Amino acid sequence: MEHQFSLSSEIRDNRLIIATSGYINNVGGESIAKEFNSHFEKGVTQVILNLAQSRVVNSIGMSFLLEILDQLQEVGGKLVFTNLDPAVEKMLSIMGLFKFAGKQPSVEDAIKTLSSQ
Amino acid sequence: MGNGVTLKMELPKVPDIELVALEGLDRLGKHLGIPEEKLGEARLLVTEAVINGLEHSGEANSVVTVEYTMTNKDLVIYVRDYGKGFEPMSVEEPEIESKLKSANKRGWGLKVMRSMSDDFRIESSPTGTRIVITKRLA
Repeated sequence: MEHQFSLSSEIRDNRLIIATSGYINNVGGESIAKEFNSHFEKGVTQVILNLAQSRVVNSIGMSFLLEILDQLQEVGGKLVFTNLDPAVEKMLSIMGLFKFAGKQPSVEDAIKTLSSQ
Repeated sequence: MGNGVTLKMELPKVPDIELVALEGLDRLGKHLGIPEEKLGEARLLVTEAVINGLEHSGEANSVVTVEYTMTNKDLVIYVRDYGKGFEPMSVEEPEIESKLKSANKRGWGLKVMRSMSDDFRIESSPTGTRIVITKRLA
């Protein structure tokens, strides 16, 4: 199992799509938050986080996602998780993230959901 | 413990050392033929237990002892640190509503371990803390 963290991002219809690979620890979580911030400052308020290639995470890394959620909530933005490993989904559920963020099977499903809102 | 296998290791406080513990877990799982999908939550439990132990291990003796016993039915994880201990009952249960508004968004480890495990025990004293987690694999 590949644990080295990396991320890629793209903007589609003014939505930020971040795809991660590898272990999301504090360093990985901070990298996601930095990537988000660089686009949030330019007005992007809809974010899709594709965690398909991140099957190991820790709660410190996930706590950085609360920073993103907090900022998006301030401006009425949206965060949607996609392609979640069942164990990662359970951790996010335990933390209560799905009270404030969405989840969809795929990026395309997330785009459809955000487009219809 | 029947056909169980045990792995014991001492991990120093270096970045991402919990991945060494995960490697051991995966090896034991393969040896016993545990399906990949059964190990997902076990991996996250081990990760949380090790980083929690290292965080509380203090500076003087910053190692944790990790031991797994795995059978076809379950995994028992022991993580022992040698820090100054804490009172588990005094740790406030985090809630997302308050964490979102708080500057400190961390502090989820115990809640995740309690909720994701099938049995969770924590013993703490001024000479350290021991966490024992049981996770069913069958």
